[in-house]
Amino acid sequence: MPAYLQLVQQVRQAIRLGILQPGDQLPTVKEVVTSLTINPNTVLHAYRQLDFEGLIEGRRGVGTFVSADPVPPPPDELKSLRSSLERWVERARSAGLDDESIAGLVGDALRPSTVSRVA
Amino acid sequence: MTWVTWRLQRTETTIAAILLALLALLLVPTGLSMASAFHHDGLAHCLSANPSNACGEKITAFQTRFDTLFNLTNWFTLIPGLIGVTLAAPFVLDLEQGTYRLAWTQSISRRRWIAGKLALPVLVAVGSAAVMILLITWWRGPYVQLNGRIDTGSYDSEGIVAIGYTLFGLGLGLAIGVIWRRAAAALTIAFVGYVIARIFVDSWLRDRLVSPLHGTWTMTQAAAHGKPPQPAALYHAFVYSENIGIHGGSGPAEAGLPGKGASLTYHVIYQPASHFWPLQLAETGLFAGTAAVLILFAAWWTHERTF
Amino acid sequence: MSESPALRTTQLGKRYGATWALRDCTLDVPTGSVTALVGPNGAGKSTLLHLAIGLSRATTGTVEVLGRSPISEASAVLPRLGFVAQDHPLHKGLTVAEMLTYGRKLNPTWDDELARRRIDELGLPPSRKVGKLSGGQQAQVALTLALAKRPELLLLDEPVASLDPLARREFLNAVMEVVAEHGVTVILSSHIVAELERVCDHLITLTEGHPQLVGRIDEIVASHRLLTGPRSDPSSVARVHHVIRETHTDRQTTLLVRAGGHVYDTCWEQHEVDLEEIVLAYLGYRPGVASRAPAAREVVTS
Repeated sequence: MPAYLQLVQQVRQAIRLGILQPGDQLPTVKEVVTSLTINPNTVLHAYRQLDFEGLIEGRRGVGTFVSADPVPPPPDELKSLRSSLERWVERARSAGLDDESIAGLVGDALRPSTVSRVA
Repeated sequence: MTWVTWRLQRTETTIAAILLALLALLLVPTGLSMASAFHHDGLAHCLSANPSNACGEKITAFQTRFDTLFNLTNWFTLIPGLIGVTLAAPFVLDLEQGTYRLAWTQSISRRRWIAGKLALPVLVAVGSAAVMILLITWWRGPYVQLNGRIDTGSYDSEGIVAIGYTLFGLGLGLAIGVIWRRAAAALTIAFVGYVIARIFVDSWLRDRLVSPLHGTWTMTQAAAHGKPPQPAALYHAFVYSENIGIHGGSGPAEAGLPGKGASLTYHVIYQPASHFWPLQLAETGLFAGTAAVLILFAAWWTHERTF
Repeated sequence: MSESPALRTTQLGKRYGATWALRDCTLDVPTGSVTALVGPNGAGKSTLLHLAIGLSRATTGTVEVLGRSPISEASAVLPRLGFVAQDHPLHKGLTVAEMLTYGRKLNPTWDDELARRRIDELGLPPSRKVGKLSGGQQAQVALTLALAKRPELLLLDEPVASLDPLARREFLNAVMEVVAEHGVTVILSSHIVAELERVCDHLITLTEGHPQLVGRIDEIVASHRLLTGPRSDPSSVARVHHVIRETHTDRQTTLLVRAGGHVYDTCWEQHEVDLEEIVLAYLGYRPGVASRAPAAREVVTS
């Protein structure tokens, strides 16, 4: 996974778990770079992505902050997705797939591919 | 850049200064004692127009007393070479240790760096030689009054040749060092080269710079009691060879002494005292000129061949 | 590219005697990037950097740094370039403070305050002789000398090769800080790939004096794939994709390819490849050696 996406995921996770609250200030690019020894462009890219997703916002001259209203998917949608998924996993298990193969199927479905795979 | 070149040459300049200080340590006390002996024994008087009879013995006594010292100081002719070669070290070390890659990637041009780094050792070389010349010329004063200064032991520490020698040592160290970038080895070879060059010039080339004179003197037997009187031309000269021919004379020759009425003919090859400065200038020109070529070569080689 | 490249080479070549250390090198390094210059020892990394900084003169072709020739316009461009040579040469007999004075005397753009602050933050005693510092500390002093010039382009020749992992991390951290703060373009060479991926965003691979892979790291990683399948002939794949490396066992064939488009070939299973794997494949890829893939001496992504 590209480095910037890893960073995006970490921030997303932190927001979801409440470690980062709306209004909290995110570390500056330089602070992240210093603590992780990574390329500043990676951090910039990650912050841009998070901004695009509406999770954070930059305030000129002040810093980058967690959005007051991070936009989560609507709760009904989440619930329905959840139950479909549980049913699908049931189906896969009764077809004889172990957890690893199930995860592999899910991973493939998530990945953009230029060469298709034989089932 | 002055601070930088000075700081990077500090050690080697200090070594040169210490060498000169050690020289002074030896020469100053002995020089003072020599000077006082010279006056105390009234030797100055011996050099006037009418020397007393005791002068011959006094002079001999004086020379015998300081003989060892004079012989020792003949080795001082190596010091210019030693100093010159030492002063080449910083430049060569810069190449050996790769710090030239640091120097040439600051903001200064390669040419300016090389020029600056060579100018200082040249100045120190000339300065050290001047100090050494002054010191030794003062020290050798009494000896020179007795014997002149064109004999080998005095000649190469007096006048200005030592400047040429030092620059030559520097040039040789640089030229060898920029090709063979190992300071210790290159400078040792350079010093050996200096010694060889000096021997070559001293023993062979010097006479071809300014030719020695040939003189023939005849004197009758009657005047030949004891030591023959010196022709004026030979005063304080450096004699290479003298051949004594015996002509005529009657009576038996006893134990090498000429017979009665014989005349003696001296054939002498010598450098007169008046040749001192012509020789000095010619030899200094030779060594300094060669040094200039070597230093310019080192500069050029470093500039071009390190590309 | 809105800005002119920090480094541009055109058919650049350097020959030492009969050997070409670098040949047919045409590439751009974009301003603001952190570029890894990777290749085995003797591949030409130092040669390229020395040509860029003006320590070497090109045999063929041209090189421009910040739009200028590093040799004929040296006095104009040298103050804007920072360079740390291999093994970070320093004057071992000078103290740290004297080394900074050295920098100050030789550079008109020297920022003394920055230099002293760095030394202070690194905890280096100014009166200690450089020769008595550890390797990592010496590397940091050398880096300070380069950074205090406030360069626009920083060239580092195997800066961390002789350093222990902690010193390596600290050194790269210092470089990253400068990039974050001042937007300096960095080219650093290394024969170790692993730790470069987090620090660099661009890549140049060199093998035997030729550049092979030049471009943005994320695009390189995204455009390469590992294909596995039953043992077979890769020629059908090779018609569409560049096959960089093929390996065969009794039952399986594995191809590392640069994707050339969409192919619906149901025989192959595809996986992502990490940067190190890609680079290793390219470094093992010898120009001129017979292979099934179309000759790919230079592979350039945008």
